[in-house]
This record gives sequence, structure tokens and C-alpha cells, in this order.
Amino acid sequence: MSDRIIFHIDINHCYAQIEEMMYPELRKVSMAVGGHEETRHGIILTKNDLAKAKGVRTGESLREAYEKDPNLLIIPPHYDEYTYYTGKVKEIYRQYSDQVESFGLDEAWIDYTNSQKLFGEPGKVCQEIVNRVYQELGLKVSAGISWNKVFAKLGSDQKSSAPYEITRQNYPETVWPLPVQDLLYVGPATYEKLRSRSIRTIGDLAQYPEEHLKKAMGMAGVMIHAFANGEDSSPVTEVTAVSVPKSVGNSMTMIHDVGSWEELQPVYYVLCEAVSSRLRQQGLEGSVVHVSLRSAGLDWYGCERKLDQKTNLSEEILDAVRFLVSSYDFAVPLRAVGVSLSHLSEAGTLRQMSLFTNEIAREKARRTDIAMDEIRARFGFQAICRACTLVDRPLTDFNVQEDHTVHPVGYFQGRKMVV
Amino acid sequence: MSELYKRYVDVVVRMKKDRQMIPMKLIWDNDREYPIDKVLRVEPRASQVGGSGIRYEVKICGQIRCLFFEKDRWFIESFRP
Repeated sequence: MSDRIIFHIDINHCYAQIEEMMYPELRKVSMAVGGHEETRHGIILTKNDLAKAKGVRTGESLREAYEKDPNLLIIPPHYDEYTYYTGKVKEIYRQYSDQVESFGLDEAWIDYTNSQKLFGEPGKVCQEIVNRVYQELGLKVSAGISWNKVFAKLGSDQKSSAPYEITRQNYPETVWPLPVQDLLYVGPATYEKLRSRSIRTIGDLAQYPEEHLKKAMGMAGVMIHAFANGEDSSPVTEVTAVSVPKSVGNSMTMIHDVGSWEELQPVYYVLCEAVSSRLRQQGLEGSVVHVSLRSAGLDWYGCERKLDQKTNLSEEILDAVRFLVSSYDFAVPLRAVGVSLSHLSEAGTLRQMSLFTNEIAREKARRTDIAMDEIRARFGFQAICRACTLVDRPLTDFNVQEDHTVHPVGYFQGRKMVV
Repeated sequence: MSELYKRYVDVVVRMKKDRQMIPMKLIWDNDREYPIDKVLRVEPRASQVGGSGIRYEVKICGQIRCLFFEKDRWFIESFRP
């Protein structure tokens, strides 16, 4: 069977570029898209070229960014616009193939193999797509072409003006000299493990004995070894079916640091209510509650607890959270907190009652949750809230459920690894 | 080339059975109406004044102008601010 032809196309610093396309005057100033500073949901999501030249980096806090460039203009994100325009970009891709797989808002793989007879030579067509996106939507994209998804992505990461082609013939010269952290799935932790074995380039990784990697890192080691050798046969698939989530959670950076459970509890009430409501909407319940805490020193702390019974009640989730957070001593105040429920299953109508829990109280809590959902659905999120959340209004004044979040996506999207 | 400005405008549109949209006249802020004499070309394009959408190259009072249908409203690349 002949090799596949896969394009990977990436909208360069997507959010910033869409803002610039809508308001061209932004191209003349150093600009970044980031969270609201007053509410401290503040990190830089993307930046334009002028901000990049001043050293502003994606992922850093607004404060760090201002230190590098005091004149930096920070724009809050407009997700509706990003979703709309990236959707338009993908409409162009879909004119060339029915196999288009989105990887986040800004990236996509296109399997061009079967379209070749219709449209012609891949290099030319890929360039045509790049040109069309620029002409029709005013957005610059970079593209990579290869026989597998991993190398196609590496190709587009090179940000060359013409589509970057990685073939079976040229990959030892083009891919192997690249630093190993450029490879998909080599994050900071994996990078450290590889570095300790003197693996610095993708070539080093490709030539490293697979067995050793498997011993040290398990299947993840086998996977990245295969990636480095271009052995990735995972298909390009349109993700249309909604996959069942593995966990449902919400997290929050607080408007000010919090130094005690009394202060934190209202925040967790709002978070637990959101998680509980989302679980109910999807007809799910879970049995493991996971809490994540980030201190003002930016250290992460996470712990989890298995519940006796599956639940989607906000009260019960909060009880578990209370128990888990009690192991944190608040020596360093907390900046961001989160809660999630996993080991999910469908919430059945029939349930084994427990002799040791107060089932009447449980039923009451369930009805309270449902009533709150209904009131909010009819009259808005602010229409009803727990009294304790009114003590420090700015701290709890957020609607995590509806505030738009763009979820990061995993490469396998629920599929099994194919190497 | 003189500088262009992005001006959102009211447009009277003829919506055809086959979902084709044909702009018929343009209404400026002072309620002055400008009939569109002819649509010369229709294609998706990014505008140099910002934004993108379906560009209608039209003839208005003998002048060629670019009118854009952007998402759900119309703007013109105007010579006047």
C-alpha cells in the first residue's frame, strides 16, 4: 500500500492573528491576548510578533509580560470570534478532503491521500490552501506534509512560508536534528527523563534502543520512539461523535489569595455546584473526587478520595473536598483551586440504598440541586446562590459553567494508541 | 492610494429563492440612499480595513466599491471616515 499524504495546517499565533485581522491597527503595537488582569485569570494566551520580539511568552502571567514590555496591550479573549473564524478556515480544508481532524481551534490534520486524483499534486494543493486562507480570511497559516500525522505536525511547526515536506527519504536530515522536545508528547517531564539518558534530538530518540525506553517509561516510551521513527499510523478522523468524558471538573484562579478553609469554602461551593450541574446535564455520576490546589508559590498539590457511593450531588462532592483540603495546612496561601469527579458512569434510575447514609437527606440534597438548576436555567445564574457565597462577593462572583473555556484536546481523543 | 475606512452600513438586500443575496441599495448615516447599480463580483475575501467575509464588488453611482457581508452585517471599504 502506498503511503498516505497528510497535511497539518496551523494558524500562526491564532487568537492574536484573528484580533489583528479584525482590527489591523493592532499590528502596529505590541499586543497579546490574555485573561482579565483584575480578576487575575491572567496568563498570556498568544501574542503578536512585536510582543514576541520583546520576549513576551505564551503561558506567562500578565505581570511577567508587563515587566518585559510595559507598553504591552492586552486584549481579553473573544472566543466566539475565534471559534467562528477557525470554523471558516476548516470549511476551506473540507473542500479538499472529507477527512479533517481538528486539534484544538487552530490546528488540523487533513488526509489528502484519496483526494489527490481530484485536485493534483500535494505540494501545490497545500500551498493553494495556505494562499486561500490568507486571501479569504486574512490569516497566515503554516503547513507541513508527510506520510504520518506526527511528522506532518513537525513540518508545520517549522513555520516555513511554503509547506514543509517531510518524506521517507529526507526525514533523517530534516527531522532527526530537531530538539527532542519538538516531538508530540514530549513535555517537560518526559524531556527530563530523556535528557538524563543524553537524548537531545529526535534522532537520538529514534536510535535509542526501544527496550530501554520501554523499561524506563513504559508504553509512552515505545510510543515516542515510534513517533521519532515516523511509525505512526493513527488515522485522520473527523471527531463528530461526542466521546464520553472520563472526568468532569472545574478550576478557578481566585481574585485574591486565600489563607483558610473558611474563605475557601464558598469558592468550592460554586465549583462543586458547577461540576454537579454538569454531571446532571450529561446524566453521569462519579465515585472519585479529585482536588487540585495551586499555592501562591505556584506549587501544585493534588489528592483524591474514593466515595462509598457514586454521586453527582454538590453537597457530597463538597464534603469530600472538605476532607481532602483539610490535609493542606495553608502555610502558603492558595491562588488557584479545582475539583473534578472521575470514574464516571451513567446515573441510573435504580440505586442500591445504603443502610449507613441518611437517604432522606440525600434525596433532599438532590432536589435542592435540581431546583437550583431549574431556577438558574429560567432566571439566570445569579438568581440563586448559597448565602455563604455572599460573604466575599468578588471572590465567588464567577460562573464557571458558562464562562467560555476552550478545552485542550489529546492527540488520541479517546482512541487507542496505534504504533 | 487614499486611505480606506471600515464603515458599517445599512443595506437593503434581495434574498433569492436559491439563498443568493443581492445587495440592492446602501443607506448612509444621514439616511441618504445609494442604489447599487451592478454587482460585479462576489467572492470570499479578507478586507484591508479589517475583518473578512463575502466581498461584493459593486458599482454605486458609477464608482466601484467593495461591500462586505461580515458574519451577520455589512460594511463598506469607505473613502470617507
